[in-house]
Amino acid sequence: MEPTRNSHATLVDLLDRVLDKGLVIHADLIISVAGVPLIGVNLRAALAGMETMLKYGVMKDWDERTRAWESEHRKKKEISVVSGEEIILDMLGSYYYSESIYTAWRMGRIYLTGKRLILYHPSFEEVLFETPLEKIKGAALETEKYFTGKERANLCLLLKSGDVVRLHALDTLKLKEALEQRMSTLGLGWQEMPSLAVHDERSAGFLGQGEEVICSGKMWHLTSAKGIMAESWKPGHLYLTNKRLCWWYDSEGRVGFEIPLDWFTGSMVETRKLAATLKREKVLDVLYHDGQDKEVASFSGDHLEEWVETLNEIGSGKQLSPAFEMETCPQCGREGQANELLEKGCRYCGWVSPRLKRQLRQSALEGTPKL
Amino acid sequence: MVLERQHSDKTRVVPATEALVKEEGRYVYCVADAAEQVNLGEIGIDGNEVYTIPYRDICAVVHNCPAQPYQSDDQEVVKAWVMTHQKVVDAAWERWGTVLPLSFDTIIKGETDGGAERNVKDWLKQEYEGLKSRIEKVRGKAEYGVQVFWDPRVIAENLTRTSLEIRKLDEEIRLKPRGLAYMYRQKLENSIKREMETKADECFKDFYTRIRKHADDIRVEKTKKAEAGLQMIMNLSCLIYKDRYAELGKELDNINQLEGFSVRFTGPWPPYSFVGGA
Repeated sequence: MEPTRNSHATLVDLLDRVLDKGLVIHADLIISVAGVPLIGVNLRAALAGMETMLKYGVMKDWDERTRAWESEHRKKKEISVVSGEEIILDMLGSYYYSESIYTAWRMGRIYLTGKRLILYHPSFEEVLFETPLEKIKGAALETEKYFTGKERANLCLLLKSGDVVRLHALDTLKLKEALEQRMSTLGLGWQEMPSLAVHDERSAGFLGQGEEVICSGKMWHLTSAKGIMAESWKPGHLYLTNKRLCWWYDSEGRVGFEIPLDWFTGSMVETRKLAATLKREKVLDVLYHDGQDKEVASFSGDHLEEWVETLNEIGSGKQLSPAFEMETCPQCGREGQANELLEKGCRYCGWVSPRLKRQLRQSALEGTPKL
Repeated sequence: MVLERQHSDKTRVVPATEALVKEEGRYVYCVADAAEQVNLGEIGIDGNEVYTIPYRDICAVVHNCPAQPYQSDDQEVVKAWVMTHQKVVDAAWERWGTVLPLSFDTIIKGETDGGAERNVKDWLKQEYEGLKSRIEKVRGKAEYGVQVFWDPRVIAENLTRTSLEIRKLDEEIRLKPRGLAYMYRQKLENSIKREMETKADECFKDFYTRIRKHADDIRVEKTKKAEAGLQMIMNLSCLIYKDRYAELGKELDNINQLEGFSVRFTGPWPPYSFVGGA
């Protein structure tokens, strides 16, 4: 194949290059349109003529303001909080802020100086977090499934006060290495930890002596009817510890359900209708025996299959087969519980299974009074 | 392409304001790898005289103009300007072998005492190191454009034949009553769309690795809208030693022969895509 330069199609290719690319000259030196340097502005808009551009207000105000703000902020090369200190590392990052009910990853710049580790928000000029290096006891790397679905690495710092701080940086590993190196240069001890236990304010409150969390997760729980309150789904967190299974009721801030592990008899996942809009949701049913009766507690959330596996392993219980599988009506295609469809027919279109039809016919015959 | 935007038919160049006209500027076409101070003749935009401003062993190729951007509502006028810009860069490229092209409408203004000429020299002086290292990077090389298109109809057709999931859905549809079949057809369309995306991804990776081998440097550009029902799935700028494009050409032949695929191979261009940035 030979490259071409002379056809209509290549003209487009050429225009793209001549208009959008090429060597860039520092903005102070070159002329501008309506106060906006030509580079970086959509040149094609600029070419359309100043009048057209102004008529449509293309970027003028916005661009001028943005540029002014940008150049202002770029001038502040060093933040005042670290003036006089040597900056070893400067990287975009965030830290996990949690106070009472408010939790969030707060973003800023992470500065590692000769003496301190700081997370600073440049626009708001706010120090989000800082610690002197000598107060750091050690650290562990953890991987976390971020809300984007990707795994990402966090650095958990254990402070001498016993607090755990979770940080994330553009390059978390590099941050850890730089920190480690600086600590050893300063002759400070550094404890490498495999992982830090779930540093969860919630579980810390109710765990007993020697009790450890095996797994935990966000989970809805179907609370039983009480007085005038009908049974309903409530948000919370389910914890499996080495002693018990318990559910933390988020909005009331207390343990809302718990059973010792030896009550546990089995668990399973089945698909059920939870509400008018949640027609086909997976539900985790935990079966247990409270010494008198057999009971069921229902939960709904993510990774239910894994929960069943873990629970059944621990309780050495048997996995039970689901009783209420959902099925589509063969006639109208709507959803219904399988057993209901088979035993009663479809409640929407009135479809009845051949077997049921036979049964009905038979019972009708038998029911006919004898003459 | 925004240039295709419809404006009034009459050719109209926006008049310069008084203040701007008093100031002079230098329209810069490119920086060339030469110490020459020469006049290239009246080959510039609007017939302006193009000449060089040297500093040490490099020079800027410029013409004199008011410190005011070239702008017009008439796309034909703009197109002619851009073509002239390219012709001047081409002439310099042919003459000196290595150039750093600038984008259209870059004008250095003459606000300070020495005027525009002084500013151009100062700029060359200040940026000398950076310009030299860029010149070294592109010395003896040219830029080639590679755009790969596919015909979505042919690709979808092929996927329907080869993908198990899609074939299964396709068969299921035939067995469904009409209402359900409609739902299933939507499912099928989504499924085809998903598989096409995966396929485009795979093709991109495959082609990229194959093309990368034959290029000195490569830039992935945004894909553009294509004509005649085709879709552009890949848009690359490749930096290659001038006239050593045969290997790449062969590789592109292979891609061009795949059913449903076509390749556009353009160039040689001055290395527009490899001189920008920091």
